[in-house]
Amino acid sequence: MLHIEGLSISIENRKLVSDFSCALSENEVTCLIGPSGCGKTSVLKWLAGILSPTLGATGALTLDDTGITPPHASTTYQPQSDALFPWLTIAQNAALGLEVAGIPTKTARADVLMHFKTFGLAGCENLYPEQISGGMRQRAAFLRTLVQNSRFILLDEPFSALDAVTRLRMQAWLCDQLAHTPRGVLMVTHDLHEATQIADRILVMPAAGGPLAANISVTTPRHARTETAMAQIRTTLKSLLLES
Amino acid sequence: MQSFRHFLPTLVLATALLLAWQIYCTLAQVSPLVLPAPTQVLRALFIERARIGPHALSTIWVATLGFSTSVTFAFAASVALHFSPWLQRGLMPLLVASQTIPLVALAPLMILWFGFGLLPKVLLVILVTFFPILVSLLSGYGQVPQAYLDLLSSMRAGKMAIFRRATLPMARASFFAGLRISATYAIVATIFAEYAGSRQGLGIYILTAKNSFRADLVLAAVVVSAVLTLLLLAVIRLTEKLTSKGPAGGKRHAAH
Repeated sequence: MLHIEGLSISIENRKLVSDFSCALSENEVTCLIGPSGCGKTSVLKWLAGILSPTLGATGALTLDDTGITPPHASTTYQPQSDALFPWLTIAQNAALGLEVAGIPTKTARADVLMHFKTFGLAGCENLYPEQISGGMRQRAAFLRTLVQNSRFILLDEPFSALDAVTRLRMQAWLCDQLAHTPRGVLMVTHDLHEATQIADRILVMPAAGGPLAANISVTTPRHARTETAMAQIRTTLKSLLLES
Repeated sequence: MQSFRHFLPTLVLATALLLAWQIYCTLAQVSPLVLPAPTQVLRALFIERARIGPHALSTIWVATLGFSTSVTFAFAASVALHFSPWLQRGLMPLLVASQTIPLVALAPLMILWFGFGLLPKVLLVILVTFFPILVSLLSGYGQVPQAYLDLLSSMRAGKMAIFRRATLPMARASFFAGLRISATYAIVATIFAEYAGSRQGLGIYILTAKNSFRADLVLAAVVVSAVLTLLLLAVIRLTEKLTSKGPAGGKRHAAH
């Protein structure tokens, strides 16, 4: 379990987030939604240890009852853009996290290459990011994140740059990947539909950035998440977002 | 074929210009002492080739030495300034001020302080070419997208690792742009330094030719200097192409 306790983030004297607490379980996908400007991305960046130094943050992060300071090896962050380096091949990009962690280049590359097929990237190993499509780039970014084998992954609106059809495909693809190699996932999104398709748990942040407005468990199995089955929960979420 | 088409407009314009010059000289009967025709310049260049050669070689040597020292210094300085904002704030105004010193004032002083050897000339080339390279490097360092920095920081990469993996590769294009600007100054600065006092080099050749009223020889040396600058630019362009990473350097594949 990864616990965030009493997180407050402020810029100068204005509070962005105040007294935010939540728990992330292993092998569970948690979606963090909220109206824009509620500070959900700041929470994620704090967890990743990359909050801008102009923002002040106080709060405690505990992993299995031990206090840790971000950035920590138990979490891997994936930025909103795919952030693939244009001067590296897809294989080199995918191995970046492993290499930064100190794994020798050769071992890291070999490790990454094993997964190209399951990630639908076979044949792209030596291509450069600008030579492949947006969906493939996003899969390469996921490969870079997942090969790092951390217990938790932090996703910042990972599908926001994709077109509508690719986005639906990639959501289903991510669910499949996570079914194979389960991780604790915290995903920030503003897309209600996306949250209800992917999440095991949905956390709703209020506009004022205070404690959670709602913590909703989604128990419907993923394959049974049809429009009708999810209508109820979507209505609830929509009213929560609109009132806050 | 492609490169020929690329250079075609330049060739057409240059030919037109030279032709106009030639026709003007013939029709107006200008004295070759004042303005020699292009053909006369070429003939002078051909006749004098054995004498210009060693001078040109000396200029190439000084310019290359000065320029490569300058690139090395500029890179080292850029790294130091990048990692020390205090140093950057303190040094940048001084470096800008150094660019306002007129060469006419500095070149004779350099000769006075360091004699007629290699050192004053190399120093002058460094002074002229250092700043554009430094500025282009620093501006390149500043162009790294925040997402790249965030990604590496979240991977717990240290300052040096971030610099090596993101900042440096990102500054590449900007660095080469600065290098090209500096390269155009390098040969000119060398010739100026030689002009101020030297035993060998195109600068001193130009001075001697001017003193004996040989406008054709002055222009012949100018032609050589222009060719040297173009050669230097070509070498830089080639280095950039050969060391380029990414699809721009190789063939483009469509993989959609």
